[in-house]
Amino acid sequence: MAWKEFKNKFKRKLSDYLELPGDIMLDLPKIVLVGNLQVFIENHRGIQEYHRQLVRVVVNDKVIEITGENLALRNILPDEICVEGQIASLTFID
Amino acid sequence: MLLFKILSYLGGFVTISVPEECLERFINMATARGIFLWGIMETGADRVALKVRLSGVRPMRHVARMTRCRFRIEARAGLPFVIGRLKRRKTLLGGALLFMVVLYMLSSFIWEIKVTGHKRVDEQVIEQLARQSGLYRGALRWAVNERAVEDVILRQVPGLSWVSVHIEGTRARIEVVEKKLPPRDGAERPFDVVADKDGLVKEILVFSGHPLVKEGDTVAAGQVLISAAVPPPTLPDASSPETGDEQAGEVRYVHARGIVRARVWYKGYGEKKLVEKGLRRTGREITKLGIKIDDKEIILMGPREVPFQHFGQQVFSKSLPAWRNIRLPVEFITVKYFEQKPYVKRYGVKEAERLAGEEALARIRRRIPPGAGVLQVKQQVVKTAGYEDMVRVKVLVETLEDIGMEKPHRGDRGGSGAVHGERGS
Repeated sequence: MAWKEFKNKFKRKLSDYLELPGDIMLDLPKIVLVGNLQVFIENHRGIQEYHRQLVRVVVNDKVIEITGENLALRNILPDEICVEGQIASLTFID
Repeated sequence: MLLFKILSYLGGFVTISVPEECLERFINMATARGIFLWGIMETGADRVALKVRLSGVRPMRHVARMTRCRFRIEARAGLPFVIGRLKRRKTLLGGALLFMVVLYMLSSFIWEIKVTGHKRVDEQVIEQLARQSGLYRGALRWAVNERAVEDVILRQVPGLSWVSVHIEGTRARIEVVEKKLPPRDGAERPFDVVADKDGLVKEILVFSGHPLVKEGDTVAAGQVLISAAVPPPTLPDASSPETGDEQAGEVRYVHARGIVRARVWYKGYGEKKLVEKGLRRTGREITKLGIKIDDKEIILMGPREVPFQHFGQQVFSKSLPAWRNIRLPVEFITVKYFEQKPYVKRYGVKEAERLAGEEALARIRRRIPPGAGVLQVKQQVVKTAGYEDMVRVKVLVETLEDIGMEKPHRGDRGGSGAVHGERGS
């Protein structure tokens, strides 16, 4: 585990130094919020749960939890998800 | 996204529903296989609806088998299903086709004939002739030869000077222009002969009417030369009107006719620069085709920039017909660019004088009526105080022409005075 942490740290340092965007270098998700109406999540690993009030999307090593009302998955592509509805919160869960 | 919607409509898509408990596995597996899903919505009753393209339905079965959850097809949409439905409903398709055919057929007949521009000629005479030459209500549109109909009407109806037959859709318009004929009821109408231009009367020949001017008189444009009002002959014993004839004392009105030939002067002016600069077309041209939307221009064909240094252009634009109050801001434009080349030409003073004189004379000749005889031409170079690189020439032309013009008699028109601003000299 220590080795993995060290590797991640090194990668982050490197990407900071080279000014490379983190979503490419570190395989991090890129999240775009449009008001409280839409969330675009790029670089995801699939969904974990879906209800009208709750959506869980798996990303690199975390889970993104979106809560709200009338949530719908507008579209799902292998690397992009778009969630639509009245979004109340967006939380990262380890 | 619109393009995507259009594509899914053309390809067809279905709405399927899966039970909620296996939704996550189902979706993840499907997306991993590259099946595109959208519109995922909980519909209640523990089921979730999702949309998938028609091409994705078959691999979807595979996914369903592996995740052990069954899906149901809820709705179908898109062009393939519409076509399938139409295949079953042949009468509907037939009706639509029949509608098109009937519309096309009905629009290929002439339904209305309108005659405009006639006043004296009877409309029915024109319509009758048009019928004989193939233009009638119910005639096939392409069977009508407009030029032939025009010819027949023009030849057979007396008193027409111009006929135009124009077919717009299902409506034929016959436009006629009648000849302006003098009244032929035999009755004499009082007409004066008035001067058309200023001039010096050289000879006057009266056929009928009462001359008001004599040879050697100067007349102004609009002045009455031969009056329609013929005064009673002056009798030797006119001092006692009650003893004379009652009829002889009254003014008679006649249609005045006569020839009044007068000397008329025309002045003209022309100038020529000694050094002439200008642009001349070289004959090379380029055409640009484009669509104009509001202020934006989209070039379909031709160069973005004109490859000529000097050029002139001619723009032809075609816009869509306006419907009611709606005017589409779309225009098709064709621009023709002509290449031009600057040139400099130098003239000698003598040559410049000659050219300026010719120009002045040409301007005068436009005003001289064809029957006039030119008596003399005088050319004079205008001298200016300082030096100019320009030659100015004045030309004076004297002609002998008939200046008489018939006009309806008016009681108040007396001796002289320009009625119209147009003067001869």
